[in-house]
Amino acid sequence: MKNKRYLAGPYLFWSISFVVIPLLVVFYYAMTNDEGSITFANLAQITTQENLKALGMSLLLSFVSTAICLLLAYPLAMILSSKNVNQSSFIVLIFILPMWMNFLLRTMAWQTLLEKNGVINSILSFVHLPALEIINTPGAIILGMVYNFLPFMVLPIYNVLIKIDRDVINAARDLGASSSYTFLKIILPLSIPGIISGITMVFVPALTTFVISDLLGGGKILLIGNVIEQSFKQNSNWHVGSGLSMVLMVFIIASMALVAKYDKEGEGSSF
Amino acid sequence: MIKKYLEKIYLFLIFILLYAPILTLIVLSFNNSKTRAKWGGFTLKWYSSLFQNEQIMNALYTTLIISLLAAVIATVIGTAAAIAIHGMKQKWRTLYSGLTNIPMMNAEIVMGVSLMLLFIAFHVTLGFGTILIAHITFNIPYVILSVAPKLRQTSRRTYEAALDLGASPLYAFFKVTFPDILPGVLSGFMLAFTMSLDDFVITHFTKGPGVDTLSTKIYSEVRKGIKPEMYALSTLLFVTVLVLLILVNVSPKKDAETAAARKHVRRRSRAGRILIKRVIPVAICLVFVGGGIYYASKGQMLTKEKLIVYNWGEYMDPDVITLFEEETGIDVVYEEFETNEIMYPKISSGAIAYDLVCPSDYMIQRMRENDLLAEINFDNIPNIKNIGKDYLERSKEFDPENKYSVPYCWGTVGILYNKTMVDEPIDSWSVLWDEKYKDNILMQDSVRDAFGVPLKYLGYSLNSTDLDELNEAKDLLTRQKPLVQAYVIDQVRDKMIGNEAAIGVIYSGEAIYTQQENPNLEYVIPKEGSNLWIDSWVIPKNAEHKENAEQFINFLCRPDIALMNFEYITYSTPNTAARELIEAESIRNSKIAFPDLSTVPNLETFQYLGTKNDEVYNELWNKVKSK
Repeated sequence: MKNKRYLAGPYLFWSISFVVIPLLVVFYYAMTNDEGSITFANLAQITTQENLKALGMSLLLSFVSTAICLLLAYPLAMILSSKNVNQSSFIVLIFILPMWMNFLLRTMAWQTLLEKNGVINSILSFVHLPALEIINTPGAIILGMVYNFLPFMVLPIYNVLIKIDRDVINAARDLGASSSYTFLKIILPLSIPGIISGITMVFVPALTTFVISDLLGGGKILLIGNVIEQSFKQNSNWHVGSGLSMVLMVFIIASMALVAKYDKEGEGSSF
Repeated sequence: MIKKYLEKIYLFLIFILLYAPILTLIVLSFNNSKTRAKWGGFTLKWYSSLFQNEQIMNALYTTLIISLLAAVIATVIGTAAAIAIHGMKQKWRTLYSGLTNIPMMNAEIVMGVSLMLLFIAFHVTLGFGTILIAHITFNIPYVILSVAPKLRQTSRRTYEAALDLGASPLYAFFKVTFPDILPGVLSGFMLAFTMSLDDFVITHFTKGPGVDTLSTKIYSEVRKGIKPEMYALSTLLFVTVLVLLILVNVSPKKDAETAAARKHVRRRSRAGRILIKRVIPVAICLVFVGGGIYYASKGQMLTKEKLIVYNWGEYMDPDVITLFEEETGIDVVYEEFETNEIMYPKISSGAIAYDLVCPSDYMIQRMRENDLLAEINFDNIPNIKNIGKDYLERSKEFDPENKYSVPYCWGTVGILYNKTMVDEPIDSWSVLWDEKYKDNILMQDSVRDAFGVPLKYLGYSLNSTDLDELNEAKDLLTRQKPLVQAYVIDQVRDKMIGNEAAIGVIYSGEAIYTQQENPNLEYVIPKEGSNLWIDSWVIPKNAEHKENAEQFINFLCRPDIALMNFEYITYSTPNTAARELIEAESIRNSKIAFPDLSTVPNLETFQYLGTKNDEVYNELWNKVKSK
């Protein structure tokens, strides 16, 4: 049985080569300047007024969209877990199938829907309701984030909820707990691993996106992801880009630590 | 009962949220009009032109092959790893699960950037291989996470019993353990395949020239307006997968009464399921691989002679490329960029050897000053005689001896306005600061173009390097920001056609097209003056196929070809022989397309201002954008 361990060899090699070492390369770029000497100037770039504002905006929008995702996803996961749906077909419907329409196109389609003379406003004006003016505002970006990342919140919560032993809930009810009390004392605490995992699965990509703000923000709202993307692709200032990426890593590591604390068994994993 | 209805309504609303954009795209794929801003009636033409569009089909096959290869390799490595990790002690297991979590949790942008830096640090040429490696990297964790739970459900005892009965470990594994974890392996594979297919960010950072997946192709088209063929392709993909899934999910039904019957049915349905799950994917794979080989061989036959062209998005009629390939047998690899600033680092880093690039005036000056350009051998370009003398004279501002560049398109920057939304006659940049048009103004999203507007408005030079003047311009832009609906580059076209805004800053070439689509639009060059720009072909110093590049320039200067391009992109051509061939007199003598340069005052060409000044401009622009 010992030799089984070698089966992990290729994976270990792959992970070190293409996950760990690349991160070290980013770290190297972040800590050096063009001449190759060590500097903290790249990390300090985050404190400039523009970058701080971008980071603040990113944090704000990702907090809000994570909260909305959670509020939308929890009832959805509860409804689905109480129904006897086939799990794989549910995942496919909510998660896999939409992905066959490219994510950029789907996000672009929201432009067509949200624009001043777009589909939604045409419908609203048809029924004499006031127009929805959120295109090119933070509101549109939040909508884009919620739309793109909602499945990442639903799946972990759903996976935790279906694993809750029905007997525990029945016992609580037998002992006289009301349904809201049962929810607060039994279901909610037991679903914490899923919630935490869902929060990180939404928060991290929302914090670091540059595509959604690009497509739905009208170029008026700069997120930290846009700043990093520009420093690599337009200004070709790799050192500053790496420095800012390292700052982002702080938030990512914090998220990983949070998951490690609350979801030790990996119950809340999405798949 | 009420709760039931509420639940149904809730599910329905979520379903709408998730599928509204998809429905929109499907509808757009039947739209007869080229712009998404207008419904031009029902058509199926995009579905037929899709298969003739070599660029999209190539991107599709690149995407499918990368996704397939990445998913297969990731499934093998991931399944092996999951089995090994399952047999490990707790300590090691935690370590490995941490390792698996890094790519899952890490931000895509950080992962993309890190891989890009790795490849560049080790001098790996960015291209197909690097995209594949990157995709395998982010796919493996999905496979491991799908297989691991199935492994936990398997019993060690059956495996050990098999060993006791004399089976070799390998035999026992394939006969006992593997069938149990097969569903996990398959769903891991499918997840990995789908993730690969939909990835944009990581591909964006790890791709090289000439390789485009659907995602990166779409992204390069975003600013110019997505080609409707793309909607058609997405619809086809979506519907195909939908049908496949319905097939897979509907066929095996299990609702037997007795235990025995249930067992029986289940066994049979499992066989059926495996049949469908195996036969269909295999069939799909065969189609993919066959199609890929077909398209690859089609490309291979011509690869003796190559030419790598790097041009603006939507800046050449695809038929022109096909014609050139047919006439010369040279295979053209065609890449697109969105702004001069995106193009420049790719050339200066030398990572990619482009043969022919089409930058604007000031960028040509910069490339020339930084010794990035090769002298063009004009003996190979007799058709240069078709280019108007005026334009070659103007070109001397950035190419003093006409040695490095051949003009391709030119035009002005001005204001496009919608006559139904603006009553007064517009002749000045000042309308861009008029509170009346709050949220109805579209502004340019590139640094120099954006600063050009207030600088000209204030009566300064477009090429000002005076800090006070620039700060004044910055303050004006900052003051303007609340009035601006969006900062865009080429989307201004679609938005103006769709009556989304009253006023937009636009290139004259786009104005002709927008007027054709929406006759209420009017273009004007403000009286304070504006920018006159020229985009010209240049050959980078590190070009590997210089003579092919010259042959292509010569081809583009042929009047019939220049005319084809003019009709496709509607940007003014410096080719006087081609202008004579334009049939419609209104366009041949159009004031927009071919303004009499002597009557328009204060037209200035951008000049390269040096790295230091570029930084000043960028910094000021960032200040405006982050306000």
